[in-house]
Amino acid sequence: MEILQYSVRKLIAGIPLVLGVTFISFLLMVYFGPDKTYELLGKNPTPEQIEEVRRELGYDQPFLTRYALYVQEIATLNFGSSESSGELVSSLLARTIPVSIALITPGFVLGNLLGVLFALIAAYHRGSWADKFIMGASAVGMSISFLIAIIAFQIIFSSNFGLGLFPVRGWNVHSFGDYLSYVTVPTLATVFVALGYNTRFYRAVIVEEMTRDHVRTAKAFGTPPARLFYKNILKNSMIPIITRVVFSIPFVVISGSLLIESYFGIPGVGKVTFDAITSGDQPVLKAVVGLTAALFVLAQLLTDILYRAVDPRVSLT
Amino acid sequence: MSNGVADLTANGSELDSSVFGDSLWGKAFLKFRRDRAGMWSLAVVTAYALIALGVWTGVWGTSWADVSGAKWAPISAEHWLGTNIIGQDIFERAVFSTKTAFEVGLVVAVLATVLGAVLGAMAGFFSGSWIDEIIIWLMGVLDSIPFYLLVAAIAFSLEGNPYAMHIAMISTFWIGTSRLVRGEVIKLKSLDFVEAARATGVNQLTIIFRHILPNTFHILLVQATITFVAAIKSEVILSFLGIGVQDGISWGLMIAESTFEVLAGFFNNFLAASVLMFGLVMAFNMFSDALQDALDPRTVSG
Repeated sequence: MEILQYSVRKLIAGIPLVLGVTFISFLLMVYFGPDKTYELLGKNPTPEQIEEVRRELGYDQPFLTRYALYVQEIATLNFGSSESSGELVSSLLARTIPVSIALITPGFVLGNLLGVLFALIAAYHRGSWADKFIMGASAVGMSISFLIAIIAFQIIFSSNFGLGLFPVRGWNVHSFGDYLSYVTVPTLATVFVALGYNTRFYRAVIVEEMTRDHVRTAKAFGTPPARLFYKNILKNSMIPIITRVVFSIPFVVISGSLLIESYFGIPGVGKVTFDAITSGDQPVLKAVVGLTAALFVLAQLLTDILYRAVDPRVSLT
Repeated sequence: MSNGVADLTANGSELDSSVFGDSLWGKAFLKFRRDRAGMWSLAVVTAYALIALGVWTGVWGTSWADVSGAKWAPISAEHWLGTNIIGQDIFERAVFSTKTAFEVGLVVAVLATVLGAVLGAMAGFFSGSWIDEIIIWLMGVLDSIPFYLLVAAIAFSLEGNPYAMHIAMISTFWIGTSRLVRGEVIKLKSLDFVEAARATGVNQLTIIFRHILPNTFHILLVQATITFVAAIKSEVILSFLGIGVQDGISWGLMIAESTFEVLAGFFNNFLAASVLMFGLVMAFNMFSDALQDALDPRTVSG
């Protein structure tokens, strides 16, 4: 009950954020976005025809009226069909979001799990060669551009000049085997790039926790190392870890991985959104922007509830 | 005070501290000078900066756009790294791109850090007031829009503007700096020297910008180096997506060009841009780390 009350309060407090996100997206993507007047007109339009189309598109309305209309359409989930493909926005998203999630989840999960694992090893052996090796490798990984990693992995694993094990590009998934063959190279690239950042971040968090007094006390009382690590260090490091993981989720769902999707020609939501921005496909944009804002508010709520779960001192008021 | 002690002990580091003083910066300078990785990375960054300066002043890298050889010519004395698909010299292009990288990195790092410092300091000094609320709201909103989509939207709404990419990066990269500065200013504003300034009737803006903000300079310097690296790395991806560098050549454009070449078995373009970029980013990351270590007050004051 307490959690429910808290959630409702938190969702209401999220309204300014949603309004802000919709406002900025309206300003950039609609008001200053691509002008669609001439796309809808034939050759040599008369001034009356131009006027007519502009009225249909609502370009003659004042700024605030147009923004209010935009918010209203998002709030009522009235998105209609994509202007470029004619497909219903809801079915477009239902088709592309699962692809993005399937594409990015393995890399996201592995990148974070391995990051925490390496961070624990490095922090436990702080100052030793293992720590230096892991942190050196992270520094190298952080310095390699995502795009370079993608191309390098593609050459090594997919091209005729390398091992040629996996398809070069595309997403033609009909079975689990297909899925594995298409998802492997993007996953390797994602993990490779994320691992440096994640390991560094998590190591800093864990080292900070390890140098606290309560850990020293527990050690002095003879707590076994495994228990010390799990109960005293890892559990107390969960708050920054949860924050980092949960706040990445909206990006994983919405922008998927735009770069991976465009590079490998995978029909995910990131690519669809990018194309919608470049072509000014407003029904799609509205849906994606609304969804992003909503997911962010939910992510905030989720982190707060998870904080409570890992740390009883946190109160939900 | 430490001068007398230093003369008596005649210890090397004590002597140094008598020369450079006991300030955060003096100590940080000494600490940085002893950091071998930091000094090496600084040397590498300086070398890149000199290459960029040479391009900027027209000493070298001037013929990056000339078609001077056959398509995909191999490595030779004439073309040190071969040529690309239309016969332009890859070495020249890679060298010229160093300038592009510095231009993007410096413009974005300086402006984003200044913006972050000003807004962060305002939010921190007026924490709890409506000014703070608005700045926090703005940071939350900008953080909730996926970066590449925001950049794409900015790039398309500023159609054709060659600085669209810079503006887009600045409008998001200030947030990290701003959050740190806000936190630091909240800590600083309750200290005695601020109280003293207030008591003597110093104007609020003067307190913020003359008394408090200079004390966050160590944060700003480190943040600027981090932003520099982020800008160079983002440039590559944005140029690949077609919303990055509009005229001239950059490592990102070279890599974008090479995505078709690598599948045809021609790697020079890709390797030249990747290796040069990796060298700069790696050195800058190490420099940034060493700077952060040297300027960390918790370790410096010890």
